[in-house]
Amino acid sequence: MRVDPSYVTNLVSSLDQAQVNEQQLSSELSSGVSISSLSQNPVGSGENVLLLNQIQQDDSFTQSSNLVTGQLQVADSALGSVASELTQAISLATSANNGTMNSSDVKSIGNQISGILDEVETLANTSYQGQYIFAGGQTTTAPFSTSTATSPGVTSYSGDEGVNYLEIPNGQKIQLNVPGSQIFLASGSNSVFGALNSLVADYANGTVDTAQAVSDTEALNTALNNVSQQRVTLDNSITGLSSASSAATNVQTQLTTAQTDLMQADIPTVSTQLSLAETQQTALEDVIAQLDSSSNSLFSKIQA
Amino acid sequence: MGTINSAYALISGALNADQEALSVVANNVANANTPGYTEETPDWQENQAITVGGVSIGDGVSETGATSQRDLVLEQRLNQQQQLASASGTRLTALNDMQALFTPDSGSSSATAGDIGSDITNFFDSFSSLESDPTDNALRQSVLSSASTLAGDISGAAASLNSQSTALNQEASGVASQVNSLTGAIAQLNQQIQSTSPDADAGTLEDQRQQDLSQLSQLVGINQVTTENNGLSITTTSGQLLVSEGSNYQLTTGTVNGVTDFFLGGTDITSDLRTGGGELGGYLTARDQDIPDALSSLDQLADSISTEVNAQNNSGTDLDGVSGTAANPLYIFNQPGAVAGSAAGMKVAMTDPNQIAAAGAGDGTGDNSNAVSMASLAKQPIVNGQTPINQYSSFVSTLGSTVLQVQTENTAQNASVTQLQTQNNALSSVNLNDEAAAMSTMESSYQAASQVFTMLNTIMASALNLGEQATVS
Repeated sequence: MRVDPSYVTNLVSSLDQAQVNEQQLSSELSSGVSISSLSQNPVGSGENVLLLNQIQQDDSFTQSSNLVTGQLQVADSALGSVASELTQAISLATSANNGTMNSSDVKSIGNQISGILDEVETLANTSYQGQYIFAGGQTTTAPFSTSTATSPGVTSYSGDEGVNYLEIPNGQKIQLNVPGSQIFLASGSNSVFGALNSLVADYANGTVDTAQAVSDTEALNTALNNVSQQRVTLDNSITGLSSASSAATNVQTQLTTAQTDLMQADIPTVSTQLSLAETQQTALEDVIAQLDSSSNSLFSKIQA
Repeated sequence: MGTINSAYALISGALNADQEALSVVANNVANANTPGYTEETPDWQENQAITVGGVSIGDGVSETGATSQRDLVLEQRLNQQQQLASASGTRLTALNDMQALFTPDSGSSSATAGDIGSDITNFFDSFSSLESDPTDNALRQSVLSSASTLAGDISGAAASLNSQSTALNQEASGVASQVNSLTGAIAQLNQQIQSTSPDADAGTLEDQRQQDLSQLSQLVGINQVTTENNGLSITTTSGQLLVSEGSNYQLTTGTVNGVTDFFLGGTDITSDLRTGGGELGGYLTARDQDIPDALSSLDQLADSISTEVNAQNNSGTDLDGVSGTAANPLYIFNQPGAVAGSAAGMKVAMTDPNQIAAAGAGDGTGDNSNAVSMASLAKQPIVNGQTPINQYSSFVSTLGSTVLQVQTENTAQNASVTQLQTQNNALSSVNLNDEAAAMSTMESSYQAASQVFTMLNTIMASALNLGEQATVS
């Protein structure tokens, strides 16, 4: 049987292959990354893109949620202050309505309620980082202003009904603001400013039309309930955000683990493969050296 | 009846024959490492016997030349396999260059992210962040900067693909001139072989022709047809004539639609050459199929993102309270004219972050409803029925699978080439052990023949002296 006389050349190409193998394995070991080109794992490469997308989305949401939580908390605490101001106004009005006060006391109560009106207006014009938070979408101008040209005075709203939402990664939307008109100028007897302005007018002259004043006080009470209800919306958003944010963090942790499993080199396996490749290389080198040193042709045996 | 004289003639013929055979062996040893050389074995022929008076007497031996140890069928199979292997090898090199542009991103935090997939995510995430405070300048600025990273990476990848295509174009044109010089050489060899050796193997000329054929097989896919008088015709795999016995036909190149096309006698055979094999087939497949496929995916991605984001931004209200109009549109990206080329041309057109229309149409500037809509484009099937990130994900999977497939093909084809090469070497290349053995044998028979000659000399002397001791010895 004839053989290929250039078999040493074939051995050398096996040696090259072994070295390529070693190079690849050692670069996997040093970088710690198992997929360094798409063809090493096409499906894994595609999966990696999607995993990173979700991880980064969750990461970005966690950051956004920290930003908006501040704004929601400012709004919530402003409404808390409004509620205590209104409670005080109601107790002042109730004491004025029992008919035992003289004219100057009634006037003084009128002035105090007028002061509360100013205070509530300031709270309704609360801003966060330069933006008015109860102005709907018109956040650049203070939404509430009161004109005392008429009696009772009129508080007007220059904002709009715009509501902003933050979309969380699962697609659910969280409400970020409540338009000021819904809180302070709600229709019917729910209007905070309507009731306050009426009460200021009721006590302005020092004489009390008891029936009217009692009805206006009741209206203020109703308006206070409305404020508390609107506040619940914001509280729900704060709770919702906090749970969505911690859910996002949990998911992110899980996804990161999955992504690391996908992309990270399995060190024990790679090390074993590398050691096998090294053994193969040494064996090949020995064989080639052997073939080279022993004169492998009959010519060396022929005596001249 | 044989005589001493005839024995003299016979044995000196044997000495000559041995010498000739020795020189064949010496030539084999001398050419042991010559590419394309096939081992030659001496041809021995028994001389015709002489019949005198009804008795037939042998008349020695002649050396009638040497025969190349060649298997044309095996060589042809080797050439065909070589065409496939070099096509897939060339294509694989091009594909490896391509996939290097889309190295998977191993980082998991947005800070270390770097590939187009992360760019897409960051871009749409910047709108999600803008939802939290639509009037914030820093958040608006980050929309524009993530947009320009995305546009820069996509247009950079497209530019690299385009320049790879240009490089492949040049390489392919270079192959054409090598093909022409080889077919010219083969045509010339055909003429020489047909005139000097019409009936038998043409030895060294045939070696050269086979060597040229093997080189030609690296370059382009061919079929070979043996014609009369030991001539050879070569066609491309799809049947266009490259060499017809003594004449060859030039492969010419010309520019068609911005790329080099290949012509044979005025016919455009580019698409036939693409599927034909050889380096040229590999270059053309990468140039006309793989790169355009990748570019078209990127084009769709770039076109859809640019168009949809522009339209959405244009339908909202920016921080200055301005809404987009037909005359003064609020576009974030350069509005692409056509899908083709939109990846290479992707660019951020907007310079003023205030022009990002976070608010809905007619809403106050603190509204974020349009930012929500823009962020949600990331989850809508805006690119060929897929979300942008899914489209990119399936693009990288497809490219990776193609590379892997060609890699597997190439490995199998190379193994088959090696196997055929081993078979062919076993038959045709010079085996020094065999030569040493032949040398030894020839040496012995030459020594034997000279010994016979010496003995004949002694016998002749005895005959001349008629048994007496005399001067002739």
